[in-house]
Amino acid sequence: MAEEVDIIDQVVGQEYKYGFTTNIEMETAPKGLTEDTIRFISSKKTEPEWMLEYRLKAFKYWQGLTAPSWQNFSYPAVDYQDIIYYAAPKEKITLDSLDQVDPELLKTFEKLGISLSEQKRLTGVAVDAVFDSVSIATTFKDQLKEKGIIFCSMSEAVHEHPDLVKKYLSSVVPYTDNFFAALNAAVFSDGSFVYIPKGVRCPMELSTYFRINAENTGQFERTLIIADEGSYVSYLEGCTAPMRDENQLHAAVVELVALEKAEIKYSTVQNWYPGDKNGKGGIYNFVTKRGICLGDYAKISWTQVETGSAITWKYPSCILKGDYSVGEFFSVAVTNNMQQADTGTKMIHIGKNTKSRIVSKGISAGKSHNTYRGLVKVNKKADKARNHTQCDSMLIGDRSGAHTFPYIEINNKSAMVEHEASTSKIGEDQIFYCNQRGIGTEEAIGLIVNGFCREVLNQLPMEFAVEAQKLLAVSLEGSVG
Amino acid sequence: MLLETIKKDFIQYKAQAEPGEFLTLREAAFAEFEKLGFPTTKHEEWKYTNLKSITDNTFQSTCEIKSLVNELFNASIESKLTANFLVFVNGSLVNELSKIIEKDNSIVISSLATSRKNNQAIFNQHFGKYAKVEGQAMNALNTALLSDGAFVFVPKGKTVVHPVVIFNISDASDLNVLAQPRNLIVVEEQSTLTIVETYYATGTNASFTNVVTETYAGKSAHVEHYKIQQQAGACYQNNFTQFFQEADTNINHVTLTLDGTLVRNNLHFYMNGENCNSLLYGLYVTDNKDLVDNHTRVDHAKPNCFSDEKYKGILKGHSTAVFNGKIMVHLDAQKTNAYQRNQNILLSDDATVNTKPQLEIFADDVKCTHGATVGELDEESMFYLRSRGIPEDVARKLLLTAYAVDIAEKIKIPELVELLEQKIDGKL
Repeated sequence: MAEEVDIIDQVVGQEYKYGFTTNIEMETAPKGLTEDTIRFISSKKTEPEWMLEYRLKAFKYWQGLTAPSWQNFSYPAVDYQDIIYYAAPKEKITLDSLDQVDPELLKTFEKLGISLSEQKRLTGVAVDAVFDSVSIATTFKDQLKEKGIIFCSMSEAVHEHPDLVKKYLSSVVPYTDNFFAALNAAVFSDGSFVYIPKGVRCPMELSTYFRINAENTGQFERTLIIADEGSYVSYLEGCTAPMRDENQLHAAVVELVALEKAEIKYSTVQNWYPGDKNGKGGIYNFVTKRGICLGDYAKISWTQVETGSAITWKYPSCILKGDYSVGEFFSVAVTNNMQQADTGTKMIHIGKNTKSRIVSKGISAGKSHNTYRGLVKVNKKADKARNHTQCDSMLIGDRSGAHTFPYIEINNKSAMVEHEASTSKIGEDQIFYCNQRGIGTEEAIGLIVNGFCREVLNQLPMEFAVEAQKLLAVSLEGSVG
Repeated sequence: MLLETIKKDFIQYKAQAEPGEFLTLREAAFAEFEKLGFPTTKHEEWKYTNLKSITDNTFQSTCEIKSLVNELFNASIESKLTANFLVFVNGSLVNELSKIIEKDNSIVISSLATSRKNNQAIFNQHFGKYAKVEGQAMNALNTALLSDGAFVFVPKGKTVVHPVVIFNISDASDLNVLAQPRNLIVVEEQSTLTIVETYYATGTNASFTNVVTETYAGKSAHVEHYKIQQQAGACYQNNFTQFFQEADTNINHVTLTLDGTLVRNNLHFYMNGENCNSLLYGLYVTDNKDLVDNHTRVDHAKPNCFSDEKYKGILKGHSTAVFNGKIMVHLDAQKTNAYQRNQNILLSDDATVNTKPQLEIFADDVKCTHGATVGELDEESMFYLRSRGIPEDVARKLLLTAYAVDIAEKIKIPELVELLEQKIDGKL
């Protein structure tokens, strides 16, 4: 027992290694949210009139809403007038090459292990880096352009590809969807825009790196990925934030559109600052992510490794509209100390012969609470829909909690839907087995946890898988249950 | 509107009630009900079950009895049992049909109204202590306006040899009826009891039964509890059953829902001591536009307890089934083992299943699993039978019967199981 306490203390003592801040001159909007704030953001980005109108419509709608309260965690009410909705490094952002980027900024990204200088060519990852509210740089743009792939910041897309933006923005997550989606639609600052033309297989992984730096700000980015007929893209997302005592809000919206026979693979390694061991500070990660398989035989796959944030509240979902379309969701959510997570997915089967698969692994340690909430819905016309859901929870420490709320709604008799879930702690016999073979308890835990999550980690692209594995080891180091 | 009738009923009741603890309790319950109102689909626990068809209707409380009731009773499968019978029509006891064959005088099997006078101490000690009214509108309503019900008391170390059948009939021959039966079952240390709770209906009008059953199981007690619902016609039922278990108790519960327009079952177990066993089994066969909703909750409040839950459904017509199973493992309820399964077979394109198996776990040394499946009959089993020359419809029936009987057989009264199997067969 004494040993157990020691080790839990050790876990608690783990430091967040991305907690530094960058001293850089920032330009911010005044605190608070009014119509003027929105006009300010819109004019800063010299947006066309239709975009401003869209924002204002969303804002009006948002004003009529109250924050939802059905979630399985509690948090103090957020004062939406006490947030800065726009923060950007003062330097002018239209850059031709990386040489013009503030060196301070480049250093920051280098510290995070994301080198923007294109030395990363070998790893074959194109990066779009978002610092507070704006996109700083996007690499490998030209190579991608040759193939007709558009990979740029959202602000750029609004100007250069208004037709695509107009057609697809808000088509998967309308601003009327929920409280945070409405807020995002009103104030979203930047984000990534990806368009893969017909029949093109994106030659490299696309990646966005989000960094919150400024104090009192919220981050509201918006990502839109469109995969045209027969195309393929793999997209990665990573995020970190400095350590601060107050909570910061991150309310992003991600929309994926997969047309006929297209495939989108979206991976997230989320490592926002989780707050200290008493639950002070940390990011509220309230994100709406949804993809739609518009055409037949389309496929959308979500993979997420959630280790950061004081509160994670998101449900990356798939609408399987095309016949024979496939939706997948692989998730590892790790909570420690006072962290809380309420995450899962929704699979909406509309087309015939659609398939979905859900694999969710929750690990709760310390005093944290980890909730899986998922919906599998089979509509009346979705003949022969197939779903398999597996959600496993692992508990480390006797003050943690694991919760499962799967909703299954079936309206078609030919549906085959299976759900299984289990909750357990690391078996003493498993540890004993390892000890017996000369593997220390520490290492054995790592081994078991990694094995527990393997199914999900295997889904991640190579570079991320390694990072995620390390991240897991760090977050849970020494957690003998 | 039902709400108005209820308000009138309560004023009427209050006018003639004698003041005392019981009245205070019921007044408090009514205040709670008025505060909460009828549950709506906005309430998470009632998301899929709309009570509008009940609340928009009018129902009267009545105790008139028709001769038809005797025939219905005599024709029922339960009446064939050698057992103690308490027969209630629209929530009032029918003396002519009730009979107690238990010899031991220390065992009390009577109506709730009688027991409140004759067994006051036990009544006061247990009544309303387990089925909470706070936040539970329908329980509050029952507590405020309960008519009558069964009272069973088994003192320490006794075994009730014959089952106790609580036979409920809704007689809606003349008008829409509302019945609010309330049962209290107290089984003391090391005692054994078998209860069969059964529901029938007659008449062409609608009926609404809002029933609450509280069962207290003392240390090392063993309770078998079977609920059989066969209310044909426009029958609505809200059934709340609460078990409160002391250490080392065994409870085996089976719910069979074979008929009813809208049936909502709330089944709650609370384990207040170590080494408890709770077994929950259920079968629902639905047809037409029926809706059957099973909400179960097992509270593992103490360490070293075991629970096993299995609910199966067969859906036909435009029917809907709802299942919501919650396993709550409280802080420090270590070494808990909890299992839960929900299986559904859809036989019609228009049937709907909404299932939500839920786990809430606050202790780390536990083993909990749950599973849910929805689908058609297994194609392989079907092929196996067909390849042996069994016609399709026979094969289908064979498979369905096997699937359903698995639950019926959890009932430990062989005569009853046999009769029920025939009944289920007929339904399929």
